[in-house]
Amino acid sequence: MNNLELRNLNLKDPDQFEQWSAFLKSLGIGNFSSVETDPLDGTIGLFENNQLIATGSYAGNILKYIAVCNKSSNNGALFNRVISELLNILAQKDIFHVLVFTKPKYCKSFEQVGFSLIVKSDDAAFLETGDQSITSYLADLPKFKDTEKIGAIVMNANPFTNGHRYLIEQAAKNSDHVYVFVVSTDKSLFTTKERTEMIKAGTKDLDNVVVVPGGDYLVSYATFPAYFLSYENDKIVYQTTIDALVFKQWIAKQLSISTRYLGTEPESRTTKIYNEVLEEILPPDVQVNVIPRLCDDNNGEIVSARTVRLAIANDEIAKIKALVPPTTYDFIIKNKQVLQDRIKKGMKISGN
Amino acid sequence: MEIKKTAIAGTLESSDIQVTVSKGNDGIKIDLTSDVKERFGKNIVKTIEEIVNKFGIENINIKAVDQGALDCVIKARTITAIQRSLGTSEEPDWEVL
Repeated sequence: MNNLELRNLNLKDPDQFEQWSAFLKSLGIGNFSSVETDPLDGTIGLFENNQLIATGSYAGNILKYIAVCNKSSNNGALFNRVISELLNILAQKDIFHVLVFTKPKYCKSFEQVGFSLIVKSDDAAFLETGDQSITSYLADLPKFKDTEKIGAIVMNANPFTNGHRYLIEQAAKNSDHVYVFVVSTDKSLFTTKERTEMIKAGTKDLDNVVVVPGGDYLVSYATFPAYFLSYENDKIVYQTTIDALVFKQWIAKQLSISTRYLGTEPESRTTKIYNEVLEEILPPDVQVNVIPRLCDDNNGEIVSARTVRLAIANDEIAKIKALVPPTTYDFIIKNKQVLQDRIKKGMKISGN
Repeated sequence: MEIKKTAIAGTLESSDIQVTVSKGNDGIKIDLTSDVKERFGKNIVKTIEEIVNKFGIENINIKAVDQGALDCVIKARTITAIQRSLGTSEEPDWEVL
């Protein structure tokens, strides 16, 4: 191990990218699509006689593309070195809660360096390490008596519309308490803070609704890696399966949630698959209650946050008033310029 | 003394120990991962606890990932992690040593 050299790799450099991807290919990782590689914040490589023998990357607080030469006699030590270096790099950025998605057969290797398994499906495992855990996340949330009827909704609310309000109202009518989990990934037009505030403002009058952060435990399509999976097309199924398992085995169990409420999804393929996976995995522990989407009185179209975003982009603010609660409307009016600037700077608004 | 911010010291390489200290609210909590936990787990935890007590810290969460570290290494990594967290790395607390 003495003549090992640690280097930062620049994947924008064609030669370095070539060496890195060839190494990964030799170990069976072959997906280098820009969806996977663009989000990487950094990549390190261990070299022996100028030969790349181990590598690892990170995107936010998620470790990715961890690979160690399997011909090396000390590949265990190389793996530990890579993880150790990555954790120290992240610590310098004040990131201490680190996640990894990997093949189930690599769980042991990660557990040996202090990671804890959160959930495992047939195809993927989700592990974490550091100064937080799903246990500490759940301990910080408000709790209710398990004899009560407790419902839950997960939403991005980008932005919070009358449709979201309607779904929460239906859940609130049927439950003693409703948790609204806000997706914490900041990849939306409205920031997590803004979305949370809009939901809180728009549900203030509903006494049995509590709005809480989703933390790192609502597994987002935006951050879930697919490079280690065999079929990229099934990424959405793998990702939603992991997400559904986390909800079932941890969140619902610890918070005594008996019903998960969903909106019907006639328009988005991604959300449709997500709903299908939830309906397959959650019962019987957690009932799935699908509520038909609220429709606009004027034209009969379903109320969607996407329509609102498009109206903001096209500067047709008048269209928005009928679709959102007054609290959201006020927020959009006040921040119109900021929002339109974000769209101009390239924030995608057409997705979910 | 109180831990407010998370800090890390050490590596995952052989004969080392990686110590992460963070804010606690329920006494001294130590989560140890080690291949030799069965035989030496109690000793490792005791060594870490002694250091924490010398700093006069009452509430702290510690995650320790051991790769077969000697006692002196365990002490050094724990002291460094705590000092990084307290922002006192530049002024070593000689009495703790």
